Amino acid sequence: MIVAVPHQATDQATDQSADQSTDPAPPRTARLHRPLTVAEAVEILADGDAEILAGGTDLVPALRARQREPRRLVALRRVLELRSRGASANMLIIGAGVTYHDLTGWSLSPGLAAMARVVGSPQIRNTGTVGGALGTANPRGDLLTFLSAVGTEIVINSARGARTVDVASFLATGLAPTELVTAVRLPRPCGPQVYLKIGSRQAASAALVSCALVVDRVHERVTCAIGGIAHQPTRPAAAEEFVRQGVDWSTGTIPADVVAGFGELVAEAAGAVPDPLPDDVGVSAAYRRHAAGVLAARAVGRCLPAAAPGAIPGSAGPGSAGPGSAGRFRS
Amino acid sequence: MNNDGCARGDIAGGSDGDAAALAGCGTGRRVSYQLYIDGGIRLVADAWLAESLLGVLRDHLGVMSVKDACEQGRCGSCSVLMDGRLVASCTVLAADAAGAVVTTVAGLGAGGPARAVRAAFLAHGAVQCGFCTPGFVVAVTDLLARRPDADEDEIREALAGNICRCTGYGRIMAAIRSIQDTRR
Repeated sequence: MIVAVPHQATDQATDQSADQSTDPAPPRTARLHRPLTVAEAVEILADGDAEILAGGTDLVPALRARQREPRRLVALRRVLELRSRGASANMLIIGAGVTYHDLTGWSLSPGLAAMARVVGSPQIRNTGTVGGALGTANPRGDLLTFLSAVGTEIVINSARGARTVDVASFLATGLAPTELVTAVRLPRPCGPQVYLKIGSRQAASAALVSCALVVDRVHERVTCAIGGIAHQPTRPAAAEEFVRQGVDWSTGTIPADVVAGFGELVAEAAGAVPDPLPDDVGVSAAYRRHAAGVLAARAVGRCLPAAAPGAIPGSAGPGSAGPGSAGRFRS
Repeated sequence: MNNDGCARGDIAGGSDGDAAALAGCGTGRRVSYQLYIDGGIRLVADAWLAESLLGVLRDHLGVMSVKDACEQGRCGSCSVLMDGRLVASCTVLAADAAGAVVTTVAGLGAGGPARAVRAAFLAHGAVQCGFCTPGFVVAVTDLLARRPDADEDEIREALAGNICRCTGYGRIMAAIRSIQDTRR
Protein backbone atom coordinates (compact mmCIF):
# COMPACT_ATOMS: atom_id res chain seq x y z
CA MET A 1 0.00 0.00 0.00
CA ILE A 2 1.32 3.37 -0.95
CA VAL A 3 0.74 6.16 1.50
CA ALA A 4 0.58 9.72 0.29
CA VAL A 5 3.25 11.79 1.96
CA PRO A 6 3.23 15.54 2.38
CA HIS A 7 4.78 17.18 -0.60
CA GLN A 8 6.36 20.59 -0.86
CA ALA A 9 4.32 23.11 -2.73
CA THR A 10 5.05 23.07 -6.41
CA ASP A 11 5.83 26.46 -7.82
CA GLN A 12 7.68 27.88 -10.75
CA ALA A 13 11.03 27.48 -9.08
CA THR A 14 10.65 23.79 -8.36
CA ASP A 15 8.83 23.02 -11.55
CA GLN A 16 11.62 21.18 -13.26
CA SER A 17 12.53 19.22 -10.15
CA ALA A 18 8.91 18.11 -9.95
CA ASP A 19 9.58 15.94 -12.96
CA GLN A 20 7.81 12.74 -12.24
CA SER A 21 10.76 10.44 -12.83
CA THR A 22 12.66 11.95 -9.91
CA ASP A 23 9.72 12.50 -7.61
CA PRO A 24 10.16 10.37 -4.51
CA ALA A 25 6.46 9.91 -3.82
CA PRO A 26 4.42 8.95 -6.84
CA PRO A 27 0.98 10.55 -7.11
CA ARG A 28 -1.72 8.51 -5.50
CA THR A 29 -4.31 8.98 -8.24
CA ALA A 30 -4.54 5.65 -9.96
CA ARG A 31 -7.63 5.62 -12.06
CA LEU A 32 -9.56 7.92 -14.33
CA HIS A 33 -13.17 7.18 -15.13
CA ARG A 34 -14.78 8.85 -18.10
CA PRO A 35 -18.46 7.96 -17.88
CA LEU A 36 -20.89 8.89 -20.62
CA THR A 37 -24.04 9.10 -18.53
CA VAL A 38 -25.09 10.28 -15.08
CA ALA A 39 -26.10 6.71 -14.25
CA GLU A 40 -22.59 5.48 -14.95
CA ALA A 41 -21.04 8.37 -13.03
CA VAL A 42 -23.03 7.82 -9.82
CA GLU A 43 -22.38 4.10 -9.97
CA ILE A 44 -18.65 4.81 -9.99
CA LEU A 45 -19.00 7.35 -7.17
CA ALA A 46 -20.85 4.78 -5.07
CA ASP A 47 -17.61 2.84 -4.72
CA GLY A 48 -16.03 5.73 -2.80
CA ASP A 49 -12.61 7.45 -2.72
CA ALA A 50 -13.25 9.34 -5.93
CA GLU A 51 -13.25 13.03 -6.79
CA ILE A 52 -15.40 14.56 -9.47
CA LEU A 53 -13.59 16.38 -12.25
CA ALA A 54 -15.91 18.96 -13.79
CA GLY A 55 -14.32 21.93 -15.60
CA GLY A 56 -11.02 21.39 -13.82
CA THR A 57 -10.30 25.04 -13.03
CA ASP A 58 -9.95 24.25 -9.32
CA LEU A 59 -9.14 20.56 -9.24
CA VAL A 60 -6.44 20.25 -11.91
CA PRO A 61 -4.15 22.92 -10.39
CA ALA A 62 -4.73 21.30 -6.99
CA LEU A 63 -3.76 17.91 -8.38
CA ARG A 64 -0.64 19.39 -9.92
CA ALA A 65 0.32 21.02 -6.62
CA ARG A 66 -0.53 17.75 -4.85
CA GLN A 67 -2.91 19.52 -2.52
CA ARG A 68 -5.46 16.89 -3.44
CA GLU A 69 -4.73 13.30 -4.32
CA PRO A 70 -7.90 11.30 -4.80
CA ARG A 71 -7.49 7.62 -5.49
CA ARG A 72 -9.85 7.90 -8.44
CA LEU A 73 -11.08 10.67 -10.68
CA VAL A 74 -14.47 10.77 -12.35
CA ALA A 75 -14.29 13.12 -15.33
CA LEU A 76 -17.63 14.50 -16.46
CA ARG A 77 -16.52 16.08 -19.73
CA ARG A 78 -18.19 13.39 -21.82
CA VAL A 79 -21.48 13.28 -19.90
CA LEU A 80 -23.45 15.17 -22.50
CA GLU A 81 -26.73 15.02 -20.58
CA LEU A 82 -25.19 17.38 -18.01
CA ARG A 83 -24.60 20.03 -20.65
CA SER A 84 -28.20 20.84 -21.46
CA ARG A 85 -30.19 23.81 -20.27
CA GLY A 86 -33.77 24.76 -20.79
CA ALA A 87 -36.87 26.36 -19.40
CA SER A 88 -40.41 25.53 -18.41
CA ALA A 89 -43.15 28.13 -18.02
CA ASN A 90 -41.72 29.43 -14.78
CA MET A 91 -38.40 27.66 -14.17
CA LEU A 92 -34.98 27.55 -15.72
CA ILE A 93 -33.08 24.30 -15.49
CA ILE A 94 -29.37 24.27 -16.08
CA GLY A 95 -27.26 21.14 -16.27
CA ALA A 96 -24.22 20.91 -14.03
CA GLY A 97 -21.91 20.66 -17.03
CA VAL A 98 -23.02 23.98 -18.52
CA THR A 99 -20.09 26.40 -18.62
CA TYR A 100 -20.09 30.09 -17.82
CA HIS A 101 -19.50 30.69 -21.51
CA ASP A 102 -22.70 28.80 -22.32
CA LEU A 103 -24.62 31.09 -19.96
CA THR A 104 -23.13 34.26 -21.41
CA GLY A 105 -25.73 35.80 -23.65
CA TRP A 106 -28.49 33.39 -22.64
CA SER A 107 -31.56 35.43 -23.46
CA LEU A 108 -33.85 33.58 -21.05
CA SER A 109 -31.88 34.87 -18.10
CA PRO A 110 -30.17 38.18 -18.80
CA GLY A 111 -29.12 38.54 -15.16
CA LEU A 112 -27.43 35.16 -15.10
CA ALA A 113 -25.85 35.91 -18.46
CA ALA A 114 -24.47 39.20 -17.17
CA MET A 115 -23.11 37.45 -14.08
CA ALA A 116 -21.46 34.74 -16.19
CA ARG A 117 -19.86 37.36 -18.38
CA VAL A 118 -17.84 38.78 -15.48
CA VAL A 119 -16.55 35.49 -14.12
CA GLY A 120 -12.77 35.12 -14.40
CA SER A 121 -11.30 35.24 -17.89
CA PRO A 122 -12.44 33.78 -21.22
CA GLN A 123 -10.26 30.76 -20.48
CA ILE A 124 -12.02 30.19 -17.15
CA ARG A 125 -15.48 30.86 -18.59
CA ASN A 126 -14.85 28.32 -21.33
CA THR A 127 -14.04 25.55 -18.86
CA GLY A 128 -15.65 26.35 -15.50
CA THR A 129 -19.05 24.78 -14.97
CA VAL A 130 -22.14 25.33 -12.84
CA GLY A 131 -21.65 22.00 -11.09
CA GLY A 132 -17.99 22.74 -10.49
CA ALA A 133 -18.80 26.04 -8.80
CA LEU A 134 -21.24 24.28 -6.49
CA GLY A 135 -18.87 21.38 -5.81
CA THR A 136 -16.01 23.72 -4.93
CA ALA A 137 -18.34 26.12 -3.07
CA ASN A 138 -15.72 28.85 -2.86
CA PRO A 139 -17.23 31.50 -0.54
CA ARG A 140 -16.21 34.12 -3.11
CA GLY A 141 -17.77 32.29 -6.04
CA ASP A 142 -19.77 34.56 -8.33
CA LEU A 143 -22.34 31.94 -9.24
CA LEU A 144 -23.09 31.04 -5.62
CA THR A 145 -24.00 34.64 -4.82
CA PHE A 146 -26.31 34.84 -7.80
CA LEU A 147 -28.00 31.49 -7.16
CA SER A 148 -28.50 32.43 -3.50
CA ALA A 149 -30.24 35.65 -4.46
CA VAL A 150 -32.69 34.10 -6.92
CA GLY A 151 -33.50 31.10 -4.73
CA THR A 152 -32.25 27.97 -6.41
CA GLU A 153 -32.85 24.27 -6.04
CA ILE A 154 -29.89 21.96 -6.48
CA VAL A 155 -30.63 18.59 -8.06
CA ILE A 156 -28.36 15.88 -6.70
CA ASN A 157 -28.10 12.33 -7.97
CA SER A 158 -26.57 9.27 -6.41
CA ALA A 159 -26.83 5.56 -7.05
CA ARG A 160 -29.82 5.59 -4.71
CA GLY A 161 -31.76 8.17 -6.69
CA ALA A 162 -32.22 11.91 -6.94
CA ARG A 163 -32.91 14.54 -4.32
CA THR A 164 -33.44 18.27 -4.40
CA VAL A 165 -32.18 20.76 -1.86
CA ASP A 166 -32.26 24.56 -1.74
CA VAL A 167 -28.98 26.32 -2.31
CA ALA A 168 -28.57 27.58 1.26
CA SER A 169 -28.96 24.09 2.75
CA PHE A 170 -26.71 22.71 0.06
CA LEU A 171 -23.94 25.16 0.92
CA ALA A 172 -24.39 24.51 4.63
CA THR A 173 -24.24 20.73 4.42
CA GLY A 174 -22.43 19.98 1.16
CA LEU A 175 -22.42 16.80 -0.84
CA ALA A 176 -21.89 13.24 0.24
CA PRO A 177 -18.87 11.71 -1.51
CA THR A 178 -21.18 9.41 -3.44
CA GLU A 179 -23.35 12.25 -4.74
CA LEU A 180 -23.22 14.30 -7.90
CA VAL A 181 -24.78 17.70 -8.60
CA THR A 182 -26.60 17.22 -11.88
CA ALA A 183 -28.60 20.43 -12.33
CA VAL A 184 -29.87 23.63 -10.79
CA ARG A 185 -33.43 24.91 -11.01
CA LEU A 186 -34.23 28.56 -10.58
CA PRO A 187 -37.25 30.75 -11.19
CA ARG A 188 -37.45 32.54 -14.51
CA PRO A 189 -36.74 36.24 -14.13
CA CYS A 190 -39.73 38.47 -13.37
CA GLY A 191 -37.90 41.77 -13.33
CA PRO A 192 -34.47 43.38 -13.37
CA GLN A 193 -31.48 41.49 -11.97
CA VAL A 194 -28.05 42.90 -11.25
CA TYR A 195 -24.77 41.34 -10.22
CA LEU A 196 -21.97 43.59 -8.93
CA LYS A 197 -18.62 42.78 -7.45
CA ILE A 198 -15.49 44.39 -6.10
CA GLY A 199 -12.04 42.86 -6.36
CA SER A 200 -8.53 43.38 -7.54
CA ARG A 201 -8.37 41.94 -11.04
CA GLN A 202 -11.40 40.11 -12.33
CA ALA A 203 -9.55 37.70 -14.57
CA ALA A 204 -6.96 36.68 -12.03
CA SER A 205 -8.64 36.65 -8.64
CA ALA A 206 -12.00 36.06 -7.07
CA ALA A 207 -14.23 38.94 -6.00
CA LEU A 208 -13.67 40.30 -2.51
CA VAL A 209 -17.31 41.20 -2.13
CA SER A 210 -20.17 40.49 -4.49
CA CYS A 211 -23.83 41.38 -4.55
CA ALA A 212 -26.65 39.86 -6.56
CA LEU A 213 -29.98 41.64 -6.46
CA VAL A 214 -33.16 40.31 -8.01
CA VAL A 215 -36.38 42.27 -8.40
CA ASP A 216 -39.58 40.29 -8.83
CA ARG A 217 -42.16 42.66 -10.27
CA VAL A 218 -44.84 39.97 -10.30
CA HIS A 219 -44.64 38.94 -6.65
CA GLU A 220 -43.45 42.41 -5.58
CA ARG A 221 -40.28 41.22 -3.93
CA VAL A 222 -36.63 42.12 -3.82
CA THR A 223 -34.09 39.47 -2.90
CA CYS A 224 -30.40 40.03 -2.39
CA ALA A 225 -27.34 37.94 -1.60
CA ILE A 226 -23.90 39.14 -0.57
CA GLY A 227 -20.81 37.02 -1.23
CA GLY A 228 -17.40 37.29 0.38
CA ILE A 229 -18.66 38.04 3.89
CA ALA A 230 -19.27 34.61 5.36
CA HIS A 231 -18.57 31.05 4.28
CA GLN A 232 -21.67 31.15 2.17
CA PRO A 233 -23.61 34.03 0.63
CA THR A 234 -25.55 36.16 3.12
CA ARG A 235 -29.23 36.90 2.62
CA PRO A 236 -30.08 40.15 4.44
CA ALA A 237 -33.70 39.34 5.27
CA ALA A 238 -34.49 42.57 7.13
CA ALA A 239 -33.06 44.67 4.31
CA GLU A 240 -35.05 42.72 1.73
CA GLU A 241 -38.27 43.31 3.64
CA PHE A 242 -37.44 47.00 4.12
CA VAL A 243 -36.91 47.57 0.42
CA ARG A 244 -40.00 45.53 -0.49
CA GLN A 245 -42.10 47.90 1.53
CA GLY A 246 -40.26 50.95 0.26
CA VAL A 247 -40.71 50.35 -3.46
CA ASP A 248 -43.69 51.88 -5.22
CA TRP A 249 -44.68 48.70 -7.02
CA SER A 250 -47.28 50.39 -9.22
CA THR A 251 -44.55 52.38 -10.95
CA GLY A 252 -41.54 50.25 -10.05
CA THR A 253 -39.70 53.22 -8.60
CA ILE A 254 -37.77 53.60 -5.39
CA PRO A 255 -37.20 56.71 -3.23
CA ALA A 256 -33.61 57.75 -2.63
CA ASP A 257 -33.88 57.32 1.14
CA VAL A 258 -35.02 53.72 0.68
CA VAL A 259 -31.97 53.05 -1.48
CA ALA A 260 -29.71 54.51 1.18
CA GLY A 261 -31.49 52.74 4.01
CA PHE A 262 -31.25 49.46 2.16
CA GLY A 263 -27.50 49.85 1.85
CA GLU A 264 -27.18 50.49 5.56
CA LEU A 265 -29.30 47.49 6.48
CA VAL A 266 -27.27 45.26 4.18
CA ALA A 267 -24.02 46.47 5.76
CA GLU A 268 -25.58 45.80 9.16
CA ALA A 269 -26.57 42.29 8.14
CA ALA A 270 -23.06 41.71 6.82
CA GLY A 271 -21.71 42.67 10.21
CA ALA A 272 -24.00 40.26 12.01
CA VAL A 273 -23.12 37.01 10.23
CA PRO A 274 -22.25 34.24 12.67
CA ASP A 275 -19.27 32.91 10.68
CA PRO A 276 -17.48 35.86 9.07
CA LEU A 277 -14.54 35.24 6.80
CA PRO A 278 -11.32 36.37 8.48
CA ASP A 279 -9.52 39.59 7.61
CA ASP A 280 -7.59 39.26 4.38
CA VAL A 281 -4.19 40.73 3.73
CA GLY A 282 -4.92 44.41 3.23
CA VAL A 283 -8.67 43.87 3.19
CA SER A 284 -10.37 43.97 6.54
CA ALA A 285 -13.73 42.47 7.32
CA ALA A 286 -14.88 46.01 8.12
CA TYR A 287 -14.07 47.13 4.58
CA ARG A 288 -15.97 44.19 3.13
CA ARG A 289 -19.02 45.00 5.26
CA HIS A 290 -18.92 48.61 4.08
CA ALA A 291 -18.49 47.48 0.47
CA ALA A 292 -21.49 45.18 0.84
CA GLY A 293 -23.69 48.14 1.71
CA VAL A 294 -22.32 50.24 -1.13
CA LEU A 295 -22.83 47.45 -3.67
CA ALA A 296 -26.34 46.64 -2.46
CA ALA A 297 -27.47 50.28 -2.66
CA ARG A 298 -25.91 50.60 -6.10
CA ALA A 299 -27.56 47.39 -7.24
CA VAL A 300 -31.05 48.34 -6.15
CA GLY A 301 -30.57 51.76 -7.73
CA ARG A 302 -29.70 50.12 -11.02
CA CYS A 303 -32.70 47.79 -10.94
CA LEU A 304 -35.34 50.34 -9.98
CA PRO A 305 -35.50 53.93 -11.21
CA ALA A 306 -35.58 56.67 -8.61
CA ALA A 307 -38.99 57.92 -7.56
CA ALA A 308 -39.64 61.54 -8.37
CA PRO A 309 -39.04 63.62 -5.22
CA GLY A 310 -42.23 63.93 -3.23
CA ALA A 311 -44.00 61.22 -5.18
CA ILE A 312 -44.35 59.01 -2.13
CA PRO A 313 -46.14 60.53 0.83
CA GLY A 314 -43.83 60.50 3.80
CA SER A 315 -46.44 59.02 6.10
CA ALA A 316 -47.11 56.03 3.85
CA GLY A 317 -43.52 55.49 2.82
CA PRO A 318 -41.83 52.90 4.97
CA GLY A 319 -38.61 54.62 3.94
CA SER A 320 -39.23 57.07 6.74
CA ALA A 321 -38.81 54.24 9.20
CA GLY A 322 -35.41 53.28 7.86
CA PRO A 323 -32.01 54.26 9.12
CA GLY A 324 -31.15 57.87 8.47
CA SER A 325 -28.33 59.61 6.59
CA ALA A 326 -29.83 59.27 3.14
CA GLY A 327 -27.25 59.23 0.42
CA ARG A 328 -24.44 58.01 2.58
CA PHE A 329 -24.04 54.92 0.46
CA ARG A 330 -24.51 56.56 -2.88
CA SER A 331 -21.41 56.22 -4.95
CA MET B 1 -13.10 0.83 -24.01
CA ASN B 2 -12.61 -0.57 -20.55
CA ASN B 3 -9.47 -2.38 -19.67
CA ASP B 4 -10.15 -4.31 -16.62
CA GLY B 5 -6.88 -6.11 -17.20
CA CYS B 6 -5.12 -3.17 -15.63
CA ALA B 7 -5.01 -3.47 -11.90
CA ARG B 8 -4.29 0.22 -11.44
CA GLY B 9 -3.10 3.27 -13.24
CA ASP B 10 -5.68 2.94 -15.93
CA ILE B 11 -8.28 4.94 -17.73
CA ALA B 12 -11.76 3.60 -17.88
CA GLY B 13 -13.30 4.94 -21.03
CA GLY B 14 -16.95 5.13 -21.87
CA SER B 15 -19.00 2.26 -23.06
CA ASP B 16 -18.92 3.48 -26.63
CA GLY B 17 -15.49 2.14 -27.30
CA ASP B 18 -14.28 5.56 -28.43
CA ALA B 19 -10.88 4.92 -29.92
CA ALA B 20 -9.74 8.37 -28.92
CA ALA B 21 -10.23 7.50 -25.29
CA LEU B 22 -7.57 4.89 -25.80
CA ALA B 23 -7.13 3.35 -22.44
CA GLY B 24 -3.56 2.74 -21.56
CA CYS B 25 -1.98 0.25 -19.28
CA GLY B 26 1.18 1.44 -17.66
CA THR B 27 3.35 0.57 -14.75
CA GLY B 28 2.14 1.76 -11.39
CA ARG B 29 0.04 4.83 -11.73
CA ARG B 30 1.39 5.85 -15.07
CA VAL B 31 -0.76 5.63 -18.11
CA SER B 32 -0.37 5.87 -21.86
CA TYR B 33 -2.88 7.45 -24.16
CA GLN B 34 -3.16 9.42 -27.37
CA LEU B 35 -3.86 13.10 -27.82
CA TYR B 36 -4.73 15.04 -30.95
CA ILE B 37 -2.22 17.89 -30.94
CA ASP B 38 -1.98 20.40 -33.77
CA GLY B 39 -3.50 18.07 -36.32
CA GLY B 40 -1.47 15.00 -35.44
CA ILE B 41 -1.88 12.08 -33.08
CA ARG B 42 0.73 12.07 -30.34
CA LEU B 43 1.36 9.17 -28.01
CA VAL B 44 1.76 10.08 -24.38
CA ALA B 45 3.68 7.29 -22.72
CA ASP B 46 3.91 6.66 -19.01
CA ALA B 47 2.43 9.89 -17.74
CA TRP B 48 0.98 10.24 -14.27
CA LEU B 49 -2.78 10.24 -14.34
CA ALA B 50 -3.06 13.49 -12.43
CA GLU B 51 -0.92 15.47 -14.87
CA SER B 52 -2.26 18.59 -16.51
CA LEU B 53 -2.36 19.07 -20.26
CA LEU B 54 0.25 21.79 -19.79
CA GLY B 55 2.59 19.37 -18.02
CA VAL B 56 2.13 16.66 -20.60
CA LEU B 57 2.59 19.03 -23.53
CA ARG B 58 5.87 20.33 -22.16
CA ASP B 59 7.35 17.42 -20.24
CA HIS B 60 6.22 14.50 -22.39
CA LEU B 61 5.65 15.91 -25.85
CA GLY B 62 8.22 18.71 -25.92
CA VAL B 63 5.72 21.38 -26.95
CA MET B 64 7.60 24.26 -25.38
CA SER B 65 5.55 27.09 -26.90
CA VAL B 66 2.96 26.38 -24.24
CA LYS B 67 4.42 28.29 -21.30
CA ASP B 68 4.33 27.31 -17.68
CA ALA B 69 3.90 30.18 -15.23
CA CYS B 70 1.09 30.35 -12.68
CA GLU B 71 -0.38 26.84 -12.97
CA GLN B 72 -3.65 28.23 -11.63
CA GLY B 73 -5.44 29.26 -14.78
CA ARG B 74 -4.78 32.93 -14.11
CA CYS B 75 -2.02 34.10 -16.41
CA GLY B 76 -2.97 32.64 -19.80
CA SER B 77 0.58 31.80 -20.85
CA CYS B 78 -0.43 28.16 -21.36
CA SER B 79 -3.48 29.04 -23.51
CA VAL B 80 -4.48 26.54 -26.18
CA LEU B 81 -7.65 25.83 -28.08
CA MET B 82 -9.48 22.71 -27.00
CA ASP B 83 -12.27 21.67 -29.34
CA GLY B 84 -12.08 25.23 -30.65
CA ARG B 85 -12.42 26.95 -27.30
CA LEU B 86 -9.72 28.97 -25.62
CA VAL B 87 -8.62 27.27 -22.40
CA ALA B 88 -5.72 27.40 -19.98
CA SER B 89 -4.04 24.02 -20.46
CA CYS B 90 -2.96 23.99 -16.80
CA THR B 91 -6.63 23.54 -15.85
CA VAL B 92 -7.18 20.58 -18.18
CA LEU B 93 -6.45 17.03 -17.08
CA ALA B 94 -4.31 15.62 -19.88
CA ALA B 95 -5.75 12.13 -19.79
CA ASP B 96 -9.24 13.62 -20.01
CA ALA B 97 -8.21 15.55 -23.13
CA ALA B 98 -8.02 12.28 -25.05
CA GLY B 99 -10.49 12.60 -27.87
CA ALA B 100 -10.43 16.39 -27.89
CA VAL B 101 -8.77 18.47 -30.60
CA VAL B 102 -5.97 20.49 -29.02
CA THR B 103 -4.43 23.38 -30.94
CA THR B 104 -1.35 25.23 -29.74
CA VAL B 105 0.14 28.31 -31.35
CA ALA B 106 2.02 26.05 -33.76
CA GLY B 107 -1.18 24.44 -34.92
CA LEU B 108 -2.98 27.66 -35.81
CA GLY B 109 -1.60 27.40 -39.32
CA ALA B 110 1.19 28.84 -41.39
CA GLY B 111 -1.18 31.10 -43.29
CA GLY B 112 -4.51 32.73 -42.74
CA PRO B 113 -5.56 34.63 -39.67
CA ALA B 114 -2.82 33.34 -37.38
CA ARG B 115 -0.17 34.48 -39.83
CA ALA B 116 -1.68 37.95 -39.83
CA VAL B 117 -1.62 37.99 -36.04
CA ARG B 118 2.01 36.93 -35.89
CA ALA B 119 3.01 39.46 -38.54
CA ALA B 120 1.16 42.26 -36.75
CA PHE B 121 2.79 41.37 -33.43
CA LEU B 122 6.20 41.64 -35.11
CA ALA B 123 5.40 44.82 -37.01
CA HIS B 124 4.14 46.59 -33.89
CA GLY B 125 6.77 45.33 -31.48
CA ALA B 126 4.11 43.57 -29.46
CA VAL B 127 6.74 41.17 -28.20
CA GLN B 128 9.03 42.14 -25.37
CA CYS B 129 10.43 39.19 -23.43
CA GLY B 130 8.14 36.94 -25.47
CA PHE B 131 7.07 34.63 -22.67
CA CYS B 132 3.38 35.51 -22.90
CA THR B 133 3.40 35.80 -26.69
CA PRO B 134 2.32 32.27 -27.70
CA GLY B 135 -0.64 32.48 -25.35
CA PHE B 136 -1.53 35.93 -26.64
CA VAL B 137 -1.31 34.82 -30.27
CA VAL B 138 -3.70 31.95 -29.55
CA ALA B 139 -6.09 34.23 -27.66
CA VAL B 140 -5.99 37.00 -30.28
CA THR B 141 -6.50 34.55 -33.14
CA ASP B 142 -9.45 33.08 -31.27
CA LEU B 143 -10.91 36.53 -30.59
CA LEU B 144 -10.61 37.77 -34.17
CA ALA B 145 -12.18 34.57 -35.47
CA ARG B 146 -15.19 35.00 -33.19
CA ARG B 147 -15.44 38.79 -33.15
CA PRO B 148 -13.56 40.31 -36.08
CA ASP B 149 -14.86 43.80 -35.33
CA ALA B 150 -14.41 43.77 -31.58
CA ASP B 151 -14.04 47.25 -30.15
CA GLU B 152 -11.34 48.23 -27.71
CA ASP B 153 -13.33 47.33 -24.59
CA GLU B 154 -14.19 43.94 -25.97
CA ILE B 155 -10.59 43.26 -26.97
CA ARG B 156 -9.34 44.18 -23.52
CA GLU B 157 -11.95 41.99 -21.91
CA ALA B 158 -11.18 39.07 -24.22
CA LEU B 159 -7.48 39.31 -23.35
CA ALA B 160 -8.01 39.77 -19.61
CA GLY B 161 -6.95 36.18 -19.03
CA ASN B 162 -3.54 36.75 -20.63
CA ILE B 163 -1.04 38.60 -18.51
CA CYS B 164 2.01 40.33 -19.99
CA ARG B 165 4.41 40.98 -17.15
CA CYS B 166 6.40 43.38 -19.35
CA THR B 167 3.08 45.29 -19.53
CA GLY B 168 3.30 45.60 -23.29
CA TYR B 169 -0.44 45.80 -23.73
CA GLY B 170 -0.36 49.01 -25.75
CA ARG B 171 1.65 47.43 -28.55
CA ILE B 172 -0.55 44.35 -28.47
CA MET B 173 -3.64 46.52 -28.83
CA ALA B 174 -2.03 48.39 -31.70
CA ALA B 175 -1.23 45.11 -33.43
CA ILE B 176 -4.82 43.94 -33.14
CA ARG B 177 -6.24 47.24 -34.38
CA SER B 178 -3.93 47.10 -37.40
CA ILE B 179 -5.22 43.63 -38.30
CA GLN B 180 -8.78 44.91 -38.05
CA ASP B 181 -7.90 47.94 -40.20
CA THR B 182 -6.37 45.87 -42.97
CA ARG B 183 -9.48 43.70 -43.08
CA ARG B 184 -11.85 46.59 -43.60
